[in-house]
Amino acid sequence: MTSIQMPQLGETIVEGTILKWLKNEGDEVKADEPLFEISTDKVDTEVPSPVAGTVTKLLVAEGTTVPVGTAVMEIDDGSGASGNGSSAPEPAAAVPAAETPAAAPAQPPAMGASAAPPSPAPQVQPSGQPAPAPSVTMPDRGPRSNILSPIVRKLAHDRGIDLTTIAGTGEGGRITKADVLAATAAPAASSGTVTPLPSAGPAAAAVMVAPPSMPAGQGEDAQPMSHVRKAIAGHMLASAQQTARAWTMVEVNVDRLVRLRAEIKEKFQANFGVKLTYLPMVTRATIDALQQFPLVNSRLDGENIVTPRFVNMGIAVSYDAGLIVPVVKGADGMNTVGIARAIADLAARARSHQLQPDEVQGATFTITNPGPYGSLVSVPIINQPNAGILSLDAIQKRPVVVEDDAIAVRSMVYISMSWDHRLIDGELATRFLARVKHNLETWDFAEDLGL
Amino acid sequence: MAEGRAAWLLRPEGLVDYDVANEAMHDLARRRLADEIPDAVIVLQHPPVFTAGRRATADELLWDEVTVAARGGAVRRIDRGGSFTFHGPGQLVAYPIVGLGSRPDAAAHLRRLEEVAIRTCADVGVAADRRADVQTGVWVGDDKICAIGVRLLRTRVTLHGMALNCDTDLAWFDGIVACGLPDRGVTSLARVLGRDVPVAEVAPTAVGHIADVFGLTFIDPPDDVVRPFVAAAVA
Repeated sequence: MTSIQMPQLGETIVEGTILKWLKNEGDEVKADEPLFEISTDKVDTEVPSPVAGTVTKLLVAEGTTVPVGTAVMEIDDGSGASGNGSSAPEPAAAVPAAETPAAAPAQPPAMGASAAPPSPAPQVQPSGQPAPAPSVTMPDRGPRSNILSPIVRKLAHDRGIDLTTIAGTGEGGRITKADVLAATAAPAASSGTVTPLPSAGPAAAAVMVAPPSMPAGQGEDAQPMSHVRKAIAGHMLASAQQTARAWTMVEVNVDRLVRLRAEIKEKFQANFGVKLTYLPMVTRATIDALQQFPLVNSRLDGENIVTPRFVNMGIAVSYDAGLIVPVVKGADGMNTVGIARAIADLAARARSHQLQPDEVQGATFTITNPGPYGSLVSVPIINQPNAGILSLDAIQKRPVVVEDDAIAVRSMVYISMSWDHRLIDGELATRFLARVKHNLETWDFAEDLGL
Repeated sequence: MAEGRAAWLLRPEGLVDYDVANEAMHDLARRRLADEIPDAVIVLQHPPVFTAGRRATADELLWDEVTVAARGGAVRRIDRGGSFTFHGPGQLVAYPIVGLGSRPDAAAHLRRLEEVAIRTCADVGVAADRRADVQTGVWVGDDKICAIGVRLLRTRVTLHGMALNCDTDLAWFDGIVACGLPDRGVTSLARVLGRDVPVAEVAPTAVGHIADVFGLTFIDPPDDVVRPFVAAAVA
């Protein structure tokens, strides 16, 4: 007598449903003939008989879900043994006779002893022989950040819904598509649907509060400010006046990044069509830190602290008309390659005056990158309403003290952040920057760069 | 990576009729089970079709069949695990028909399919991942970018596989409760990146990842194996 169990199809599959009996009580079965169909979450299979014999008993009804290892059928295989002869039909079915039964009682169905069915002379790698296990490591990419999906963001954007005004009903309080649709259907239910970004209006007025007029005299030229210049002036002044700006700097050893870039920059450009700079790597490292310390990604709205669960990264770009901050939307959903491409695309279009209005709005944090021009340390003005702005300055070879008090030459960079003391305190700002530093000094970017 | 075991790679061009591909896939799997042929991987695109796995319920198809037909689609009930999904132009579909060995680990097979999708997404700059709260599939945030469903013959040979949205028309997914998860969305590489991502851009790297992750070295199959797929391709 052989007892057939719900087979183990992998450690994480713990139960299965009997979809259909293919053999009834009294039917004769041959070895390896399908006995029944089972269904698990994403895998369905027919289960073959480990033995030849007669089906004597069906132990559960069709449609029943039972744990792996549960006896579901009995077959009289003429062995006469009962009870102890229990067998998992598969994987045992094709286990070579030399295999010993599994000793581990924790996994009874993993390998029962059974008569191995005769198998046809294999012409190729037999389906029943152990396949060479691919020696592929699948890295644990860690828990998912609590982010909003692009579809929800897009839907909200298309419908003019401020996501910060919606209470998420999804798992972990996430805002789902249904929440946005509900908010659209019943706008009165939400506490206000659109929060306009602060405009340069009041600040532009502040520009007018100027010292007494000093028109151009001899040897001086006068030109009206461009609209862009006026807007920048208003924005900067408003930020300087309205934020409680403080500043913190860390020094980062980027020796590994410099070597990695030198090694792969040509291949990267050939593969992805954009130059590999340090900015995308720093951006990726910063996004991770923002996810660790969400308050740095937040903004003040009146007396509310609004904390997006996504990262829209503003990247300060200088162009002929001045300075503009295009935004990499949903940057937390991109790897370094995606970020590199998005930045290259936005910067190129900024410089050719082809940005759309919505591409310069909605930043949740900003990075400025004066390094290429040679700046060693910068104290940027915060891009309101962000809580902070990170500055990536020039990478330089410096003598540094390394292990055992030796002095060595290393590629170093100062990375600093201007932050709004209304939202953030020094400890948080420093821990945030330390995280950025840690990421840049320890991450292996090679995998993230797809090379 | 060491040389993997030899496997046939079938990459029919154009859109391959679902029924023809499904039947040819089952035929290959039966021959694989009988150890007549090596492992095989089919990489293709289908014309628009909703497929219902064994766990699908009728109310998860939100459009009636007249609506589906009017839009140029079809509905098929098939033998893989999982619920409803959609296949159509702009979606990279891969069907690995592989022997799982004497101790079949179907869960590991699912994880390998996911790994292929994750690596393929990473190549074009999309950070996709598994989710801790849903057993199978590959996601960008709350939105599924790659659906996975598998059938086994006698627990030993795999059928069906994975469907990665490149620039799939996502409006089709309004017709179903995808994978039986009503509060989840779907997305595509094109939607995440905001640019066109044709299957042709992604397929070569996806094939490379399949070879790596499944430990295969691809060889060309005989002509008679390829023929049904070619004949079934519509423009």
